[in-house]
Amino acid sequence: MKKLIGVALAFLVCCSFLTAAVGVAGAQEKVYRIAYIARAQGDSFAAWLANAIRDEVARNYPDVRVDVFDGQSRNEVITAHIENAVVNRYDLILLQPLDSEAQVAPAMAAMDAGVKVVTVNNRINDNDRAPAVDADPVEQAARNARLAREQVPQNGRVVVLMGPAGNMHSDMRRVGWQKEFFDHRPDVVILDEQIANWNKDEAMRFMEDWILTYGKIDAIISMNDNMAAGALEATKAAGISDILAYGVDGTAEACLLIRDGVMTSTTLQSAYELAEKAVGLAYDILTGKKEHEIIMVDCPLITQENVEEYIEVHRRAGNIQ
Amino acid sequence: MSSPDLVNTIRKYSSRYSIYLVLAAMIVISSIISPVFLSTLNITNISRQISITTILAFGATILIIAGLLDLSAGSVLALAGVLSVASYKATGSLALAMAVGLAVGVVCNIVNGIIVTRFNTPPFIATLAMQTVARGAALQYTSGQNIYQIGNYVVFGQSSVGPIPTPVLFMVGIGVVTWYLLRHTRLGRSLYAIGGNAEAARASGINVNAVKMKAYLINGVFVGIAGVLFMSRVNAGLPNAGIMAEFEAMTSAIIGGTSFSGGIGTASGTLAGAFIMGILNNIMNLMRVQSYMQQIVRGAIIALAVCYDIYSKKKREARKLGSRVKSEFQPGQA
Repeated sequence: MKKLIGVALAFLVCCSFLTAAVGVAGAQEKVYRIAYIARAQGDSFAAWLANAIRDEVARNYPDVRVDVFDGQSRNEVITAHIENAVVNRYDLILLQPLDSEAQVAPAMAAMDAGVKVVTVNNRINDNDRAPAVDADPVEQAARNARLAREQVPQNGRVVVLMGPAGNMHSDMRRVGWQKEFFDHRPDVVILDEQIANWNKDEAMRFMEDWILTYGKIDAIISMNDNMAAGALEATKAAGISDILAYGVDGTAEACLLIRDGVMTSTTLQSAYELAEKAVGLAYDILTGKKEHEIIMVDCPLITQENVEEYIEVHRRAGNIQ
Repeated sequence: MSSPDLVNTIRKYSSRYSIYLVLAAMIVISSIISPVFLSTLNITNISRQISITTILAFGATILIIAGLLDLSAGSVLALAGVLSVASYKATGSLALAMAVGLAVGVVCNIVNGIIVTRFNTPPFIATLAMQTVARGAALQYTSGQNIYQIGNYVVFGQSSVGPIPTPVLFMVGIGVVTWYLLRHTRLGRSLYAIGGNAEAARASGINVNAVKMKAYLINGVFVGIAGVLFMSRVNAGLPNAGIMAEFEAMTSAIIGGTSFSGGIGTASGTLAGAFIMGILNNIMNLMRVQSYMQQIVRGAIIALAVCYDIYSKKKREARKLGSRVKSEFQPGQA
C-alpha cells in the first residue's frame, strides 16, 4: 500500500512539473533552435569557431539556442548529425562543411524537409542554394604570396607544408601560392613539399630533417599557422633566425611570433568575424528578414606593422594573457 | 667447429638477433644513399624525434608481454600534457607540472587497470573507452584551443645535457628501467608468465590481477612523462596531440619482436624497432620521398613485421612441439 501511495505521489509530482514546464514554455516567446555542426572539435580552428559561435549567440541573441555537434572530421558523422537535426526539428542547421561534395545530399535533404541550412567556413557544391559565410582560401594565401614575391631572394630555396591530403582549404591555399608566387618566381626552388596535417609536431619533424639536408633555406611556406610555428621551433633549436615564414589563420601564436620578428606574415581567418556574420545571417533568415545571401569575409594580411591590432583582439578574447 | 655447426650457430643467432641485423642494414643503406645520414646532428635528430614514441613503446611492450594493450596512450598523453602545461602556467613550478603529468597518466591507467581486472573487460574495449574519455577531457578543458606562452616549460623537451637532448635521456632512462624490470625482477617474470599462459600463471601462484594493475600503473608513469615531454618539445599545450601515437608505439614494439600474443618481447628489441621506424621516416624525408609514398612504405613495414612475428612464433612452436615429440617417443620407449 505504501509503495502504491509512493508511486502515485511520484506520478503527481511529475505531472505537476510537466504542466508547469509546458505553461512556462507556452508563455515564453519563440526560441529559435540552431544546430551548429562543426567540422571537428579536435581541430583548433574549428574549435575556435565553435566557441565564437556559442559566445556570439549568448551575447547577442537571447531568443536563439545553439547546440554544437562534433563532426569528428568524418563525413558520415556529419551526415548523421544533419539527419538527426532534421528529426529533432531544429529551425536551422549551421554547417561547417568538411567536404564540399559529401555534404551536398544531406544538406539538400534537410532543406527539402523544411529545415533551413546556412554554411560557414567552407561551402558546398550546391549551385549556391544554401546561404553561406566564407573566406576565400585562394586569397588568404595570395596576400601572403604577393608579399613573399618581394621578400624571397633571387634563386630562393623554399619548403612547403601542406594540410591533410584532399583538404579543400589546404589545396586552395596552395593554388593561391602557385598563382601569386611560384608562377611569378620561376627562379625559386621548392626543396621539398610535405603533408604535415596542420600539426605543429609533424611540421617540426620535417623541418629538423630539412635543415640538415638542405642547409640554407630561405622561406617556409605553410598552409596554416600551426605548421609554420612548428617549423619555426626547429629553426630556433638550430639557431637559425634569418628565415622567412608565412602562414594562414592569424592564430594567437602566429601573431606573437610575428611581433617578435620570428614569423613574417599570416592572413587572418577571423573566427569571430565568421561567427558574427554566420549567426547574424542565420537569425535574419529565421526571422524572415533575408532569404538568401552569400557573404565573403575579408582576410587581412598581418605583418609586423599591424600585428599589435590583432594581438589586442586575441587579448580581448582571452587567447593571449 | 664443423661447418654444419657453424651454419646452425649462424642460423640461431641471426634468428635471435634478426631485428638488430635489420637495423644495421638500414643504417648501412641509409648512410650510403644520404651523405648527411650518419652526421652527429642527424643521429641527434632521429633520437629526439623517436624519443616520445619510444617512451610510449616501452609501456606498450610491458603491456603486450602480459597480454594487455593500451589504446588510450595518445589521448592520455594529450590530457596529461595540457593539464601539466596549465598547472605550470598557473604556478610556475616545473616540479609540480611534471607531477601533474605523471599523476594524470597514472590515474587514467589505474582506471584502465581496474576496468580490465575487476570487470574482466577486454583491454581493447576498456582502453578504447579511456581513449575517448581522455581526448574529450583534454578538448573540454582547453575548449579545443592550444595553450601558448608556456615559458620555461620548454626546458623538459628542448634542452640538452651536453650533446644529448633531454627527451633522449628520458628515453634511455626509461629504457633501462624497462629492461631491468623485465629481465631482473619477479614482476618481469610474472608479466611473461601471464602473457604466455594466464591460467598456468594463476595456478603457479601469481596474482594475475595485481600484476596487470602494476603493468598499467607503470605504463601510466611512462605516458605521463611522454605527455610532458611532447608539450615541452612543441612549446605549446596541444589538446589534439598524440593522435594515433599508441599505434606508432605498438608498431615499434612489434617490429622489435614483441609478440602480440603475449609472453615475448624485450626492451632492447623495442628500442631497435623504434629506431627502425625513426630511421625509415628520417631517410624518406632526407630523400624527398613524397608523403603518400611514405605512408605506403610505413604500412608495408608494419605488415611485414606482423607477418614475421606470426611466422617466427609458429616456427618456434613447431620446434618446441618437434622436440617434445622426439623426447616422448624415444626409440625403445614406444
